[in-house]
Amino acid sequence: MAHDQTSTTDRRKILLGLGVAAGGALTSGLAVQEAGANDKQVTDAPESHRTDVEQSVPFYGLHQAGVVTPRPANGMLVSLDVIADTPVDFEKMMRKLTERIVFLTQGGTPPELDPKLPPADSGILGPIIQPDNLTITVGLGNAMFETRPWLKRLKPRHLQQMTQFKNDALDAELCHGDLSLQFCSNTADTNIHALRDILKNMPEYLVPRWKQEGSVPTVLPEADGTVPSARNFLGFRDGSANPKSNDKPMMDEIVWVAEGHDEPEWAVGGTYQAVRIIRNFVERWDRTPLGEQQRIFGRKKMSGAPMDGVKETDIPNYANDPDGKITRLDSHIRLANPRTAESRKNLILRRPFNYSNGITKNGQFDQGLLFIAYQSDLERGFITVQSRLDGEPLEEYIKPIGGGYFFVLPGAREAGDYLGRKLAEAATADPSTRS
Amino acid sequence: MSAPETGQGKPKAPSSGFMYAGVAGATVLVLIAGAAFYVATKKIRHDNVAAVAVAVTSKACEPNSLSVPAGERTFEISNKSERPVEWEVLDGVMVLAERENIAPGFKQTLKVRLAPGTYEVTCGLLSNPRGTLLVTPSQEANAEPPKATMRALLGPMGEYKFYLGRQSSAALRDAKDLADAIKAGDLAKSQALYITARQPYKRIEPVVHRFADLQNTIDPVADYFEQRENDPAFVGYHRIERGLFVTKSLDGLSPVADRLVADLTTLDERLKAMKMTPGILIDSAGNFTTQLSRDRLPAQNNSIAKTDMTDLEASLDGIDKIVGLLRPIVTPVNPELAQKIDATLTATKDEVAKQKSDAATASSSSASPSQRKELTAAFTNLADALNELPSAIGMNTNGT
Amino acid sequence: MKRHFVAATALAVAFGYAGVAYAEDEDSKLVEPLAAYKSFVADHTEKLLENTTKFTEAVKAGDIAKAKELYAPTRMDYETIEPIAELFSDLDHTIDARADDFEAKEKDPKFSGFHRIEYGLWDQKSTKDVVPYADQLLADVKDLNHRIENLTFPPETVVGGAAALMEEVAATKISGEEDRYSHTDLWDFKANFDGSKKIYDLVRPLIEKDHADFVKKVDGDFKVVDDTLAKYKTANGYELYDKLSDEDRKVLSAKVNALAAELSTLRGKLGLN
Repeated sequence: MAHDQTSTTDRRKILLGLGVAAGGALTSGLAVQEAGANDKQVTDAPESHRTDVEQSVPFYGLHQAGVVTPRPANGMLVSLDVIADTPVDFEKMMRKLTERIVFLTQGGTPPELDPKLPPADSGILGPIIQPDNLTITVGLGNAMFETRPWLKRLKPRHLQQMTQFKNDALDAELCHGDLSLQFCSNTADTNIHALRDILKNMPEYLVPRWKQEGSVPTVLPEADGTVPSARNFLGFRDGSANPKSNDKPMMDEIVWVAEGHDEPEWAVGGTYQAVRIIRNFVERWDRTPLGEQQRIFGRKKMSGAPMDGVKETDIPNYANDPDGKITRLDSHIRLANPRTAESRKNLILRRPFNYSNGITKNGQFDQGLLFIAYQSDLERGFITVQSRLDGEPLEEYIKPIGGGYFFVLPGAREAGDYLGRKLAEAATADPSTRS
Repeated sequence: MSAPETGQGKPKAPSSGFMYAGVAGATVLVLIAGAAFYVATKKIRHDNVAAVAVAVTSKACEPNSLSVPAGERTFEISNKSERPVEWEVLDGVMVLAERENIAPGFKQTLKVRLAPGTYEVTCGLLSNPRGTLLVTPSQEANAEPPKATMRALLGPMGEYKFYLGRQSSAALRDAKDLADAIKAGDLAKSQALYITARQPYKRIEPVVHRFADLQNTIDPVADYFEQRENDPAFVGYHRIERGLFVTKSLDGLSPVADRLVADLTTLDERLKAMKMTPGILIDSAGNFTTQLSRDRLPAQNNSIAKTDMTDLEASLDGIDKIVGLLRPIVTPVNPELAQKIDATLTATKDEVAKQKSDAATASSSSASPSQRKELTAAFTNLADALNELPSAIGMNTNGT
Repeated sequence: MKRHFVAATALAVAFGYAGVAYAEDEDSKLVEPLAAYKSFVADHTEKLLENTTKFTEAVKAGDIAKAKELYAPTRMDYETIEPIAELFSDLDHTIDARADDFEAKEKDPKFSGFHRIEYGLWDQKSTKDVVPYADQLLADVKDLNHRIENLTFPPETVVGGAAALMEEVAATKISGEEDRYSHTDLWDFKANFDGSKKIYDLVRPLIEKDHADFVKKVDGDFKVVDDTLAKYKTANGYELYDKLSDEDRKVLSAKVNALAAELSTLRGKLGLN
């Protein structure tokens, strides 16, 4: 290795020389190509941009980041089991977790330790940790509350263990958990680095259960400057009818738990997180006629426009189509959002990522959608929407195999505060823990 | 395990100068580094005081109390008694240095490096009163060297400590079996057990012989007792051997066997509690072999030669163990020495094997003078090679 | 340098025997734990040989009940000394490999050792095919015993072994995949933990003064593990792995990872690179 490092420069010179010589011997077109490639090497890392890596999302606030924050290119959802038997342990854990998240999302330099010891940081991002647009969003699962008497009575009203919907084939190893961590950032490496950091620093508190990484494909803006929704692995635009996440009153209505919601006081400012790992049978989908695909979704595949529209942002007029002659009644978008006054209560904020894991035992792609949705009322939100989707024709091409429901904690207000403080305080004050 | 790694292993290790290893009693390693010390020591060596003369009479040492400045000292011991004697410098029960088998009327010299303190010296017969040796502080001894890394020696030291414990446990176990056979009145079985029972002890003798008190009860030779074989203080392996192979009688051996078991128990405890040092590992083989070749083999008072070769085989096993442990340390810095040690060790083993097979068929029970001479020569060569180890390994810690 | 060398050699030879107590190097403190650990390992390998002899005799006699009874306790001695045993990768492979390590899994003729016999006893319920594997296992264990006896234990392997054992459990055992036919995994856990704790206990006196908090934390974590495993103790050993509750599996998993992280600093704390 040492030899390689010292000789890199020399090697480049030699390679450059060879490149020029080779170029001369070829046609001029190829020679130009050669020369153009000459200042780049196979081993050169793809360049990142300072504006990207230095991009940071504020951590402190009423709400946690990573919910109404615009989706960056890479996401990862990790479910973990928690080892914390007392409110004191819980507080210690949440303080530590908050400390790691602040460091990771705001960036900094890990301490240098004696080289005889394992290093403080995995080093996969280099000596300085850049924020890279990272958010880490913490949620608590049903099991977290149910298995701890001192937390049980503080459980958010709608939090429950995810139950199997008709089309689900849930794999126990990909379901539920005490705590969820949603990582979102510009690069997959930043997410992985953050997860490794947390597990390395908190092994006594956190045991990972399952994890799913995903990404959002980047898209070119339209001629008019609007940016269309990204496509999922079925080739359709996903999120066309999502509520506007920068519309604060709307988010307060749809996403955030507020005073008067009949939730525990500590939960104000939080939100319910529904996670689903939905495998797509892409081989079969790709062998399905385009018309059928569009009828199943209720949108035109390339433009993303509704069946009665021309562009993605057009709103379908179901009133004019009561029998589903244009947009089938059982199409995905019509079931999910019938766009009635009544169904407005069921709006959810979707924040999904595409995933691609490998090949199944049967030799098929293991890919699909890491579906993540936020809402202030889980029952009225995801559970109602998903129940409406039960039996949709799309089911033939998709199979939910994992996921879980979590309650995303309210934000930490300022330096010194920590995620879950109010919950920890309520648990400590809870008479059931006094003995 | 290689030398450069060792040198870099410890950031504070000196980056220049030479180092060498020495032994401090059986307790502490001396690692010396730095050209400054080299210069200082060189100067002191020029100022060396003359050899200190000591005479051993049949009753005591003359003078019976000695005083010398700390540092490297040479003693000239003259035997003015009627029988061969040994002369030892003792730190508590530990033998710091010794000369054995100084023939009546002869002089021998002994070099020893001494730290300030009070020591005892033995004076001929074990029943004779011991003399005292006062070592006073000196400039030479104050030239304290910087420490050096022991990283490369850790594994071998740990292994040797384990080996000592393992062999002493085996010696104890075998001695108990032997004692049982003796008490059961089974002469044939006792004879058979004796040969193997002694072997674990012989394997670790390079270290064990530093415990003066135990050595004198576990494995003394009759000559060092006033009434020789008939002296009531004559106990240990050789006393049992005499009963089993010379008088061929188990009479009176039971208490001797019990005593042996008791002493081996003490030895086992002591070895397990003993702090292992590089010196024990690096110097023991050379010192012990030197003693064999210089003091014991040429004069061989032990009259039962057939077991001698078995004993020597066990001793060579023990030396082999040390050599094996030090080989990876010596080879990178001084491959010639590693080769030399291997060659002389093999030659010595071959010589012992040859004489063993000769002895099995020979009518005479003891080795001929020429055989003894060849054996002595082999061990002398081996000792010469082994005695280069301290300096070679000292260089190793230099990190060059 | 050459000139100095000659002078130094002369001096060193002169001083070779019996010297002055000048200074004690901190590093040498590890020698005693190393020797003690070798004794510990040697005792376990001897016991392993003794028990493997009985175990393989039962297998060869076709006594399935007895062989099943001896399987888990026999393995414990191997699992206890795994940091050293696995230094000999050829033997580790023939003694302790799992079916997954072979392309044809259980059907692969190269699949041998404890788990091959385990497969025969529990899954195939027969000793018909495993007699040659019993012979091989005994021969391998003898070989291992001999090799360990002659091995100078590298200090970094010994000290690093405490964490290595935890890493093993964390990476390949907590799932219960080790003893998949017999489900005697808790026996292995116990042995792995004991092996790790032995190393820690041996070096603990060397670090407790400077790292009081660390020692307190590790002691506490080992205690939780001990207490958790103790719940599954039976008269003759341990419950089957499927008896382990999800809660306790999580606790063990967390503690195994915490211990692995903590013990990974042992080498550094003791100045070993």
